[in-house]
Amino acid sequence: MKCEHAQPLVAAYADGELDGIRRHSIQKHLRTCARCAAAHADILALRARLRSEVPYFAAPPGLQERVRVMVATTPPVRTRASASRWPWASGGARNGGAAAVRARWQWMSSGALAGCAATVLAFVVGTSVLDWRTEHDLANEAVASHVRATLDHRLIEVASSDRHSVKPWLSERLDYSPPVRDLAAGGYPLLGGRLTMLEGRQVATLVYGYRKHTIDVFVQPETRDAPPLRELRGFNVAHVNGAGWDWLAVSDAGPEILDAFLRELVHEASLP
Amino acid sequence: MSEHARFEKLVMPHLTAGYNLARWLARDGHDAEDIVQDACMRALKYIDSLNRADARAWFLTIVRHAFYDWCERNRPAEIARDDGSAIENAVDAGATDPEQAAVRRSETRVLAEAIAELPLAFREVLILRELEDLSYKEIARVADIPVGTVMSRLARARALLQGSPRLRAIREPISGGDR
Repeated sequence: MKCEHAQPLVAAYADGELDGIRRHSIQKHLRTCARCAAAHADILALRARLRSEVPYFAAPPGLQERVRVMVATTPPVRTRASASRWPWASGGARNGGAAAVRARWQWMSSGALAGCAATVLAFVVGTSVLDWRTEHDLANEAVASHVRATLDHRLIEVASSDRHSVKPWLSERLDYSPPVRDLAAGGYPLLGGRLTMLEGRQVATLVYGYRKHTIDVFVQPETRDAPPLRELRGFNVAHVNGAGWDWLAVSDAGPEILDAFLRELVHEASLP
Repeated sequence: MSEHARFEKLVMPHLTAGYNLARWLARDGHDAEDIVQDACMRALKYIDSLNRADARAWFLTIVRHAFYDWCERNRPAEIARDDGSAIENAVDAGATDPEQAAVRRSETRVLAEAIAELPLAFREVLILRELEDLSYKEIARVADIPVGTVMSRLARARALLQGSPRLRAIREPISGGDR
């Protein structure tokens, strides 16, 4: 074998990737070519150092426990409430046969929206929310929607910080046209929006960011008095009326943040 | 077998592999734990799609995706930086004074640091190959790149490490030859 043919195969040989015939040719070549032999020795020496000197990080004991708890408290997918109501939850991998699924694992490249810490928090809290189907008031459904959207990486169906593209997207799909304001100047950038089914009707959901938190705001025409702010299963919920709208905010951000945010939002919405 | 039983049987044995990968990618223990927990949730959700022979590579794929999602959110600059332009200087960047570095640090630390400084695209194939012992084909699947790209990135990662001034400061080049 000529050196120029052997060179690109040296690494593959060192990695045990060559078939019998080519493996044999490289072995022969290495005996006669000092340069390729050195390259081969380099790879083996580096590997030896990597495997002896570099730490292989074992999972911390607490992690294993936490994962087991998370798994144990998650209802099986097939019986999860979201499976039938939320079409995206039934798409992709779960439906197909094993072959179709193994074909490409493409589903995993989906959604990058939810922060990990928020997701984990939502998960721990969310599993109890999902089992909590006896109470159907607005806030419960709103929190459940926030949790599901976070878990499914579907917080945002129309991603834009431009209220002029979020508003028409929502208006097209609703029987009302919700007020959309960007509060980036106040530290709450608009991230996008989605539709949520609350109490049997489609509701505009605006998604704002605050540092690493996301804030869901469910906006519908004002029809009743909003009950005061409360905490629901680890999430903060704020509910106010203002500017002719009913505003319900859900987030893992602190209550005082949520309060200030809603005040600012309602104030902005009341401006022409 | 229920989903939970499948998860316990097929995923839990690879939790450490997942953590090791996340730890090397994120370079931080706490972040790695967050990433692995997120990955486990995704794994549970899609456990039906798992062919048991593939469990390890399958789970590592999920961990890698969880990392990139996390990274996009928390360190977007790191992904952006990995466009190849900064590659030439990547390993040299942190080695301002190799001699002092050699005195200060143990050899183990130096090699680990040299790896940690590799650009993400090279770091991940190196870790998957040398620490997780995956085949080219498995790496191609986990990292979603062609096998040829696996080979070229691996070659580059090795060349960067072998040429690292940090390593040279401590030992002569590994083979003793000067290439």
